Amino acid sequence: MVRTKAKNEELPAARLARKRELSVDPYEVPDEDTTASPKRRRGSDEPQPTASRLNPLKDPLVVEVDGHQEAGVIQASAEPVPIKKRRGRPPKPKVLDANGIAVTPSAVRRKKVAATPAKLQGLNGVDTPSRRTIADRSARRKSARALIDRVVEGALSDDEAEDGGIAREIYESSEGDIELEDQEPGDNREEGVDPNTPSKTPGRKRKAGSARKRSPSPPRDLPPHEQYFYQNKPGLNKTSSNNLSSLDLLTHDEFFALLRQLKDPHVADVEFLQSLHAESFPQWSFELSQGFSACLYGYGSKRRLLHQFTTYLSTSSAEQRPPKIVIVNGYVRTTTVREILGTIGTAVDPSHKLVAGNPVVMVQSLLSLLSSAGTTVVLIINSIDAPVLRRAGTQSILAQLAAHPQIRLVCSADTPDFPLLWDSGLRSSFNFVFHDCTTFSSFGTEIDVVDEVHELLGRKARRVGGKEGVAFVLRSLPENAKSLFRLLVTEVLVIMDEGGAGGAEGPGIEYRMLYSKAVEEFICSSEMAFRTLLKEFHDHQIITSHKDSIGTELLSLPFRKDELEAILEDLMS
Amino acid sequence: MAEIEDNATSTFQEEDHRAAYIFNAPAAATDGAGTAAAPPPPKRRRVSSKKDNSTPKKQQQQQQQQLAGGEAESLFTPLFNGAESAESVRLRRESFEAAWPVLDARIQHVLREANRNTLDEVTSFLRNAEAESEKITAGIIITGPNIASQDLLFEQLAETLCKATQAKFVRLRSAEAPHLKAALKKIIREATARGGSVDDEDDDMGLSVGQDGRKYLDYDLESLHVSLKLQASRRVIVAFQDSEAFDIGLFTDLVALFHSWHDRIQFSVLFGIATSVELFQARLLKSTARYLHGAQFDVVQAGSVLESVFKSVVAGSQAMLRLGPSLLRTLVERQQDQVAGIQVFISSLKYAYMCHFYANPLSMFLAGDGGLDRQLLQPEHLEAVRTLASFKSHVEDAVEARQLNHAQSLLDDDQFLVGQILEQGQKRRDYLEQLLRSLHLIAAMGLVSTPFTELYITALAEGIDLSSGAFPLLDNIRRLGPDEILSLIQRLVHAVQTGSPELGLKGWESETDELTGPLTEIRDEVEALVERTKDNRNPLKSKYDARSKVLRTTVVAQKVQLSRDSAAMTDEDKSFTDAIDTLTDLLSQHIRCDPVDSLFLHEAWVYDSKSPYRDVFIPRPATTLGRALSRPHDYLGCACCSEANGTVVPTLPATAILYHLYLEAGALVNVADLWSAYYNSVGEESKLGLDERTALVHFYRGLAELRMMGFVKQSKKKADHVAKLKWL
Repeated sequence: MVRTKAKNEELPAARLARKRELSVDPYEVPDEDTTASPKRRRGSDEPQPTASRLNPLKDPLVVEVDGHQEAGVIQASAEPVPIKKRRGRPPKPKVLDANGIAVTPSAVRRKKVAATPAKLQGLNGVDTPSRRTIADRSARRKSARALIDRVVEGALSDDEAEDGGIAREIYESSEGDIELEDQEPGDNREEGVDPNTPSKTPGRKRKAGSARKRSPSPPRDLPPHEQYFYQNKPGLNKTSSNNLSSLDLLTHDEFFALLRQLKDPHVADVEFLQSLHAESFPQWSFELSQGFSACLYGYGSKRRLLHQFTTYLSTSSAEQRPPKIVIVNGYVRTTTVREILGTIGTAVDPSHKLVAGNPVVMVQSLLSLLSSAGTTVVLIINSIDAPVLRRAGTQSILAQLAAHPQIRLVCSADTPDFPLLWDSGLRSSFNFVFHDCTTFSSFGTEIDVVDEVHELLGRKARRVGGKEGVAFVLRSLPENAKSLFRLLVTEVLVIMDEGGAGGAEGPGIEYRMLYSKAVEEFICSSEMAFRTLLKEFHDHQIITSHKDSIGTELLSLPFRKDELEAILEDLMS
Repeated sequence: MAEIEDNATSTFQEEDHRAAYIFNAPAAATDGAGTAAAPPPPKRRRVSSKKDNSTPKKQQQQQQQQLAGGEAESLFTPLFNGAESAESVRLRRESFEAAWPVLDARIQHVLREANRNTLDEVTSFLRNAEAESEKITAGIIITGPNIASQDLLFEQLAETLCKATQAKFVRLRSAEAPHLKAALKKIIREATARGGSVDDEDDDMGLSVGQDGRKYLDYDLESLHVSLKLQASRRVIVAFQDSEAFDIGLFTDLVALFHSWHDRIQFSVLFGIATSVELFQARLLKSTARYLHGAQFDVVQAGSVLESVFKSVVAGSQAMLRLGPSLLRTLVERQQDQVAGIQVFISSLKYAYMCHFYANPLSMFLAGDGGLDRQLLQPEHLEAVRTLASFKSHVEDAVEARQLNHAQSLLDDDQFLVGQILEQGQKRRDYLEQLLRSLHLIAAMGLVSTPFTELYITALAEGIDLSSGAFPLLDNIRRLGPDEILSLIQRLVHAVQTGSPELGLKGWESETDELTGPLTEIRDEVEALVERTKDNRNPLKSKYDARSKVLRTTVVAQKVQLSRDSAAMTDEDKSFTDAIDTLTDLLSQHIRCDPVDSLFLHEAWVYDSKSPYRDVFIPRPATTLGRALSRPHDYLGCACCSEANGTVVPTLPATAILYHLYLEAGALVNVADLWSAYYNSVGEESKLGLDERTALVHFYRGLAELRMMGFVKQSKKKADHVAKLKWL
């Protein structure tokens, strides 16, 4: 904009010359100027990158807006402009037609503008003062009117030219805005119509291409903390309201059935990677023998690698008494410090019974046992950063163990920030050496994939094992609990038969309905009692409850249909 | 839990789901049988360069599985692609085993010595405090911020105090004593157990039985009282190792309790403090503070401990291996910048030794006297020597010096080279002696303020040359007055006579009087000059002295001209100047050494590689993980993913694809959209063409892995959404 202005100031002589030229032939004044004005507009369009870049993208939209504006402008300016002058306009399309074919898209735009004369005239007719005030209120329209006025009047003073520049500036900058604004709602509308993000429909590959370019994420090279603050800005967390209700979630059986058929294309590469790491075994065992503990980190399951290493250690040991090897699986959710200590104790001396009780005490007695027994123990810990081992107390006990000269510790860590587990004190008693052991082998045993994902999604994951489990639970419950469960199973089966798919949670029965039926059948007399019974089921995870979209509470059973039928048979017999 | 083992993995399934179990070696291996069967050899392939960084090996020396004859050498593997002879391997191992324990002992000695003063002070304070009746004696020990080094201090305290005051010593760490009951239990347990009275082997009831058959709760101080009475001792010292981490209410309760028992059990407390006494006192309640009678003790600062460890272990003559200047600088900087404890430094040092002897075949040249002989040197060794940079520059120097025969025989004649190699041991010792003596003299002069570590590193890297700019010594010496010169000479002579026990440097006066002889001559001369000028009005000065320069102002044509002029010098002054010149010449002759990497074959005894140290002690798991996930090709090296180059290709592992999408997502991730985006890239429309259920299995696994690695957690904000947790 500034540049255009400067140009205007630079060339008063040229403009004067043109003015003089124009005045020679007064008839051509309007035509000459209207043709000149789009040109000049185009010239000033160029330094404005947003507008010019966006134009090709949203051309129809822009044209539409433009046409509308133009119409409005002209309608607004119609009043003050003398009719005589207005009559001068009809030639304009003609000239433009001639030009427009030859020249540029913006000329086409012009053409279209002028090609809506009917609208223009019609609006002109029904114009009302209130409308006009609204129009006047808009600075943009005002400036547009100023432009038009100037065009129509033809005669320009230098001052007016200055004004005109500003007016054009306003007009065009707001035009750019409008374009942007229009684009935004357009996008929103698109999302509104198609509630899924663009990539939902598999056919359209927008995610890969254009969508990423306009994704709200900042440039890639932002440092992580900046990225964090950027992404946690309030208001940025707009996600679509899709959910997985249409997707049939995997069950354990299906998961494992499919998993067994899978073939990893990278098997050979993973094996190769593993063999690379395996070459370091002698080095690791040297490090261990020198009082260091080894910690393997990096992506992929390191369980197999550690197991190989364990085998290596047990077979290659040169010492007279091979070390006892104790393997701890940190990923097992039931791991306790006591169990670990107890196992180490048994490994050292099977006959000796460690003092049960406080782990801190146990460690003391274990360490004294070790010192007296004189055996070396290699402690292999899979996933030392697993949730069950993360507690500071556990880690300090492990550190105490590692600091003992007869204990050699090898562990693997899976999370990216595991060093935070240890303060400098623990770190120095562990005396770690770290090795990057990215294996890329999949976590098979470590994760219960289906449960893990369902937990992540907030679905109930853990459940009693099928029909036997239910029978077991019900056996310990009073008669009316059994009746209630039978009722529930029946109702759910009925709903299933009626074809209610019911999404991931399976078909559910309304809480109220079940209650009233239970009362009818004299299973319970009060809601209180009803709830107590349900709670019992809940505790044993043989029912699940969730709310549907309008908020009614639904009760459902986490079993498949055939299982339900079997359960019902059992209950009836 | 109906769980089925991944069919690809190993044999024992049940054990994988047990929390802990004892590993039983496969049947082939029986204990003590000398492992006739070699371990199942993993596949051997060439190590690609990227993995090599993480292993402390030279790149060209591929690690090989040991040969089947597994003797005690199993830890050290033959280098040169396995061509190294067993004797050489043994020699390397023995050199390592000879080198390190000596240093380790010295380090322990130095560390213990460093705390000696503090220990003495604390002991005498506590002993004298017995007279103090009303209050509890409290020693407040400022240990500094590094809790790793506290352990040793408190261990020593326990030893000395038990001996000196006949008291029970109990160490408490904040983790062990979360509340009053736990703290009391711990105190009572330790105080009663230490005395050797094993009558109260804990029974499960949490009760302990006293001598008279009475039972006490295990947090009842009465039981402590009873047990102390039996041993005719009344004192218990309780040390809080990391006082800042304790709950302050616990102190209040404990101190009040101790005070109320004070007439029966004499408690003393020790507080280990990382910050300052003022801060600590501000936290304590006034009423608590009133019970305490305290004194403050300082521990030697980490910097000076480092300095003395450095002197005796890194620089000292006992250190067989020299750490190179760049590695040393990294280590020292890490100590200063990251407040890493001295333990970290020691571990790094040890690791450097391990790397050198483990992975450098030439390290066997370091073997002690008689260990190395001609027979041991294999053609591979000679070949390795001929590839060294120092060999190259040595030969080039010889050529430039027109010693073409020498160069020729180095290159061609194996026997000649062997001879040269065998000579190197003596050259190394000479060099080190010269280096240490020079440094010792510089330090003894006391004219430079640079710490010894810095001096040593600079000397290794750039050599010592007094006439060059690195050490501004000579100027300092010239400016000295006669008295200072005399005392300087005195110090130098003393240094030569005594050597430096810290550096393991013996006095070398007896060996040579090249230095001490002229020094004493100069001293005598200066003394005589001083004697002669004693009666003069003008003191003795040299021409370098600031006083001998006179600033003269002349006014010429109303302009002031400043000019320096040497003041008139007497004959004595002139001869004093001469004496100083002789001294500086003498010193720059004797205090000199070359940079370490200019020496032939220095690779055999200098270790200066930073990368194993960095990889092993400063892991960057986040970067590693991020790289593995965003560019799996870097690790897998497979053809299918190589075109990915940071973008999504369907053949990538599921977790990697999800990680890409994860990076693009905001703080809250819609799993439904994630799934559709994922399916979109691997599904039927893509090259891979997975069907929906199979893709879902991959998706599940990827998501579960992301969760396990702590990238996402469940979000309650919206249904089927997960929250992002990691920004790597």
